[in-house]
Amino acid sequence: MPKWEYAIMPRKLFAHLRRFFTNSFVKFVAKKVVFYAIVMFVAMTFVFFIPRIVPVNPIDLMIPRPSGGISPEQYAEIRNYYMRFFGLDKPLFDQYIIFWRQILTLDLGRSFPTSSVVSWPRPVLGAILGFLPFTLALVIPVLLLSFILGNWIGARAAYVGGKRSELAYFFSVFSNRLPCFWLGMVLLFLLATRAGLFPTVGWISLRVKPPSLDLDTFLDVLWHYCLPFLSLFIVYLGGWATGMRSMVIYEMDSGYVRYSDQLGFRKSKSMAYAKRNAILPQFTGINLYLNALIGETTIIENIFGWPGIGRLLVDSVMTSNFPMITGCFLVIMVVVIFGNFLIDILYGFVDPRIRIGRR
Amino acid sequence: MEMLELLRRSRKFIIGSAVVGAIIMLGIIGTMVTPEPKMNLSQIGKAQPPSWEHPLGTTSLGEDVFAQLCRGISNSFMVGLLGGGLGTLIAVLLGALGPYKGGLADESSNFVTNVILVFPILPMLLFLSYVLGERSLFTVGMLVALTSWPWAARSIRSQVLSLKEREFINLARMSGMKDRTTVITEVLPNMLAYILMVFVLLAGGAIIAEAGISVIGVGPDRGLCVTLGNMMYSAIQFHPSVWHWSSIWWWFIPPGLVLTACLSAIFVIHAGMDEVFNPRMRRV
Repeated sequence: MPKWEYAIMPRKLFAHLRRFFTNSFVKFVAKKVVFYAIVMFVAMTFVFFIPRIVPVNPIDLMIPRPSGGISPEQYAEIRNYYMRFFGLDKPLFDQYIIFWRQILTLDLGRSFPTSSVVSWPRPVLGAILGFLPFTLALVIPVLLLSFILGNWIGARAAYVGGKRSELAYFFSVFSNRLPCFWLGMVLLFLLATRAGLFPTVGWISLRVKPPSLDLDTFLDVLWHYCLPFLSLFIVYLGGWATGMRSMVIYEMDSGYVRYSDQLGFRKSKSMAYAKRNAILPQFTGINLYLNALIGETTIIENIFGWPGIGRLLVDSVMTSNFPMITGCFLVIMVVVIFGNFLIDILYGFVDPRIRIGRR
Repeated sequence: MEMLELLRRSRKFIIGSAVVGAIIMLGIIGTMVTPEPKMNLSQIGKAQPPSWEHPLGTTSLGEDVFAQLCRGISNSFMVGLLGGGLGTLIAVLLGALGPYKGGLADESSNFVTNVILVFPILPMLLFLSYVLGERSLFTVGMLVALTSWPWAARSIRSQVLSLKEREFINLARMSGMKDRTTVITEVLPNMLAYILMVFVLLAGGAIIAEAGISVIGVGPDRGLCVTLGNMMYSAIQFHPSVWHWSSIWWWFIPPGLVLTACLSAIFVIHAGMDEVFNPRMRRV
């Protein structure tokens, strides 16, 4: 039916809309949107109240204690001025309303002057957006590459069987249990300071400053990127491999694989079916891995001096930089929720039971 | 008792518990044998490599690393016990009672679990821990427990849901057994193995979470107690650059090795228990 007919036939439009909204896939997406909106609300409410329940005022960190030179009255005046300037003098509930208005209008105000990594007075979101690419550059490749390679290794180990499979299992469990920050420290010790192959901290060498968009800069950043990437990648690789190996072994034991074996299928053919079924539960794992990865990136960034959100967040938390904390958590939540949402949709496409739905 | 008999036959479980047991023994006996590690002002900046006198050398503050390590092991395991125990308790309360009662209780507990499951736990944890100010083993253990339970609650819930449909529960109901008696005599004994497995994983998770926030510097205060995590933190913290701290490898390598060994062992224990209690997995 051509689109213009909707105008003269509202009944048909209504019928189409109804069919659209009773489509199981659309319903699935709508449900997820509502759920993630609630998650966002709860998380940001926590972020607002956690620093405000303790009786420490960030203003006292910004201005020095009254000493010689100014009277207590003058000090109180300065303090009140600061309180008014950053809106901390209002009742808690008003602050909470302002907090949500700022989030919804994407104008988080200015960072407190306590930050040591962001110069004052920069708008919060602008500053954070400068840090975000570094975090994404760690999180996305680690997640995708470890998923692909780890599942390949796991499936391969299950396929080969025997001693080599045991060995692969042993190594993947071990690598998955390595604390990523300690692995980072050991890599720094062995590869950076002992062997001198990699730089120790930061994201760019002084010699290529100011950074420009050429190959030299790119290679230099890549060189700095190797160790933080490796220390997360190795840990996550083992996780996927362990899971995939046991899933494939489990599938290889099920009826359809045995039946196809007895029918005389080639082993690679029946394995292809087994792998296809084994990878489905792995997709549901991506959500949990993403959430864990966001956390571990925070630590890794601090160890390697990699200028991502995690580094900014830790600095803001340590300096009670309320607007910056809000901004960091807002961006982290958006990344987490967007990632989770994408993975949910992806899973909907991958799993035929959800893709086709109940007609 | 039957459970113990089965466990004793699992090679993975035996190996894993032997390693964890050995580490705990090292922690306890080492703490008793070695003197309290003290800062030695005359030794500041003169870290000594391992020698007969100091088996793991000394820190750049003049403390004996081995003595620190032993106390760190005990304290980290305390956090594991506390965080794991309390986390399991929360997970059981939210994950088992909800679906057993059914209706609104189930819906709300499941919803809360799913919401918290999406939170970026580690940033939240370090934020909470920093805000708290005074950080002892107890408070950090509590915080870890408060943030670690959601996946456990979810898996316990699915277990209870499948258990509820089983024949023997129906039989107990039909024979007129009271709800409470059913839970105590039928549901709980069948869940016990699973709850134990959840506890093992949560305890391991608590140990690594504590180490993670300690490395950033918001773990238990160094002055109150030494943990494996804040040993690594101090190794970084008391030096101006990577070149300095990485030359004193005997300060940060041992705690990480112990941590890795203990987490691997906990994973192996869990895998062994899984094989024993989950007959479908027994041959895997």
